[in-house]
Amino acid sequence: MSWNKVAVVGAGLIKMGELFDQSYEQMAAGAYSAALAGVDRGAPEIDAAIVATQRGSLWGQEGIGGNTVPSAIGLSGIPCTRVENACPSGSDAFRIGAMVVASGVHDVVLVIGVEKMRDKSTQEGLLARAAAGHPLYNRGETAPVLFAPFATRHMHEFGTTPEMLASVAVKNHHNGCLDPYAHFQSEVTIEQVLASPLVCSPLRLLDCCPQTDGAAAVILTSADRAGEFTDRPVYVAGFGVATDHPYLHEKSTYVGLPATTLASSRAYEMAGIGPADVDMAEVHDCFTITEILDIEDLGFVEKGKGGPASLEGETALDGRIPVNPSGGLLAKGHPIGATGLAQITECFWQLREEAGERQVAVRNGIALQHNVGGRGSGVSVVNILTRNR
Amino acid sequence: MTTDLRPVGIAGVGVAAPSLRLAAGEVGRAWGTGGGRATLAVCDADEDTLTLAWLAAERALEAAGKTPAQVSGLWWGTTRPPFAEGPSHPFLAAALGLGGDVAGGLSAGSPHAGMEALVAAWDALAAGHADVALVVTSDALVPGLGTAGETATGAGAGALVLIAFSPSESNGSGPPARLVDRATRALPVVDRVRGDAEAGTGDVYDARLFREEVYLPLVADVGAAIGGPPDRWALADPDGKLAAAAGRRLGGSLVSGEVRSALGDTGAAAGLLGAAGALDTPGSLGIVGYGGGRATAVAVEVQRPVPGAADVAGRLAGGEPTSYTHLLRARGQLEAQTDPIPMGLPPGGAAFVRGNAEMLSLEGARCRACGTVSTPPSVHPHCIACGGADLEVVSLVRRGTIQTFVVNQTMPPPFQAPLPLVVLDLEDGARLMVQGVPADAPEMAVGDQVFLTLRRYALERGIPVYGYKALRAGAAAEAGGPSGGPSARVQEVAK
Repeated sequence: MSWNKVAVVGAGLIKMGELFDQSYEQMAAGAYSAALAGVDRGAPEIDAAIVATQRGSLWGQEGIGGNTVPSAIGLSGIPCTRVENACPSGSDAFRIGAMVVASGVHDVVLVIGVEKMRDKSTQEGLLARAAAGHPLYNRGETAPVLFAPFATRHMHEFGTTPEMLASVAVKNHHNGCLDPYAHFQSEVTIEQVLASPLVCSPLRLLDCCPQTDGAAAVILTSADRAGEFTDRPVYVAGFGVATDHPYLHEKSTYVGLPATTLASSRAYEMAGIGPADVDMAEVHDCFTITEILDIEDLGFVEKGKGGPASLEGETALDGRIPVNPSGGLLAKGHPIGATGLAQITECFWQLREEAGERQVAVRNGIALQHNVGGRGSGVSVVNILTRNR
Repeated sequence: MTTDLRPVGIAGVGVAAPSLRLAAGEVGRAWGTGGGRATLAVCDADEDTLTLAWLAAERALEAAGKTPAQVSGLWWGTTRPPFAEGPSHPFLAAALGLGGDVAGGLSAGSPHAGMEALVAAWDALAAGHADVALVVTSDALVPGLGTAGETATGAGAGALVLIAFSPSESNGSGPPARLVDRATRALPVVDRVRGDAEAGTGDVYDARLFREEVYLPLVADVGAAIGGPPDRWALADPDGKLAAAAGRRLGGSLVSGEVRSALGDTGAAAGLLGAAGALDTPGSLGIVGYGGGRATAVAVEVQRPVPGAADVAGRLAGGEPTSYTHLLRARGQLEAQTDPIPMGLPPGGAAFVRGNAEMLSLEGARCRACGTVSTPPSVHPHCIACGGADLEVVSLVRRGTIQTFVVNQTMPPPFQAPLPLVVLDLEDGARLMVQGVPADAPEMAVGDQVFLTLRRYALERGIPVYGYKALRAGAAAEAGGPSGGPSARVQEVAK
């Protein structure tokens, strides 16, 4: 049986993109307003907040703390804590927010993710990871290097092709065209993906998500109080988090991400469901290969079959298991701390059947949200949502 | 010599050349001068005098059948060590797996340094202060822009394993070649110089003056002072013509011409590099090094082929053709105005105190409970497989296969694409992720055999940073890595 002690009663995000005209604080305020606007009735009084910002140093601010956001959104004084857990920072903040509400300590909790990715030049941003980690062993390790080796090996073991990778980008860019919040609003073809410049072989430019500024927020309360704010709450059915060794050379496999498998098995167990029960999923597609690994590791398709499944449309909006209807990280963008909460927002809308042109068929009323990251995919978080009480 | 001194012989020889070859005519075209027809062996951005010295020394040890634990001293001669002031010798010693108690020294300051290292090692062995000595001579000089040196300066390294032996050992049982005589001459003259603040080495004042008044008198004099005289000569040859002239004065045959033609002037390494191939043939051999107004000659009696000598020609052959502009970038003489992204940590910091030692010695942490090796030890107080904390530090095998890889095309400076990054399974079961080299990028595949070779990862805030890179086996056999000898070296590192 699902956990269902906590409900999402409002969720929202700002238009993702290169938001050169907005500060970190302005993005936070925008996401908070959007989440409040998503509440059907009443004005929830926020008891506490959790902010997910992965890396202030990406925009020159080493010292982003829990105090930055309440002041920016007019709630200075409330308790607020910053959560950092690599690419799953936003989804882990959501999980922790749910536990805070379930504990009874705070009744209404705002979980907000904010990330500035483009205030520094591209070369000084994520690319500068090439100079991070162990001083000697991680030379040249930019972000694509954390996932491209899995593509090489997946191709070697299962015959996955560049076209199969490209089909993920084609699908997610198509979905992004239907999502007004997505960074990219343009279709791409397999030919365009395969003709785009090599970034880190075998990954090409259109196999990679962009560097995106963004913010997203959700409002949580207890399942018992949800009715004060909406007749259509979405419940937290279960969640799971798992760690793995952080460095790439320490992986037990190069055709899967064990942290995802472990986190999802915990979430499925808590929610009392299996992968076949999921209506739609928002998964971590920082690169095309990542989505292929995800749908295998989450149990939607057999290991090794993620490539053909993507090419054959099983994960399209009208497919057997729609994946990333929002456009995913590839099209909507990946403002790290905000990413998980933007995915939760999409699940909230899909389960309430408010997703407009990109609405998927909701059969069981269950959605899954997933992130993975942390150097060599050393941490994964899975949250499962349901509209069924 | 007094009878108290022990005789010293050569147990093995190793040589190394850098990965690139430049046609000197390219230099001439850039400056509107002749340039000449020479071929010069030159370093890519990740090679330098230390990486060449390491490779030659590894090969010499392998040829001699000696383990690092048997080496009691390292003598290194190079005009320009990687640190003008700093830990050049301990970096090389650590990468060679020599203990922290290894004796020896670093000779530098002119191309004569190579002979100084050889003679110093000989002295220490003869006097009984060491039993097995590694002598390494190497250079990868940066000539001044627009100087004649640009069309003559090559790079390379030659190394010998020297051993002391008992005078009673017959020719059949002693080392295959013996050091039998030496002489030194000097003149206080200014030839090639580089000031403290200068990046490139300057030219001689006048080529004729240098030839007639400095080089020929010194080399002929010092050569005449040794042996009986030797019937073959390996002579330092700064411009590619001087050795032939000196050889005519000395008589006998010149054996160093082929290496000089293949690599250019290898500076402090010229003597040993020129002589290395001749150690394959019995007979007498005179080795003369010159630099900074000094010349030293050493006479060698070759009784049997010296291990490693037969491999010399193959080790020095090959090399990728390069352009003058690529070379200028590799040497740091052509730099973008954009600042490179600094490393997250300064190379003088504590992380490098931990990191350098475990990288240069290629250490892993082996679990006594389950046998899994976690690398590197500094970030693994617990086993990655079973979580146990009972770990021993081991030195890893430098050979393995590619588990998976990528070729990175998009990096901030100072990185240059294409940069392969390789997850590899070492033959001892350890797993590493290291950089590859651009030349391997097009053909690289899962399952390829690779060797690890020492390279300069960066010149970070003026400080060289070293580590291992993976070379595909085919390429390694030509110019990159030792041919597998170090793989036999799996031993515990004394803690």
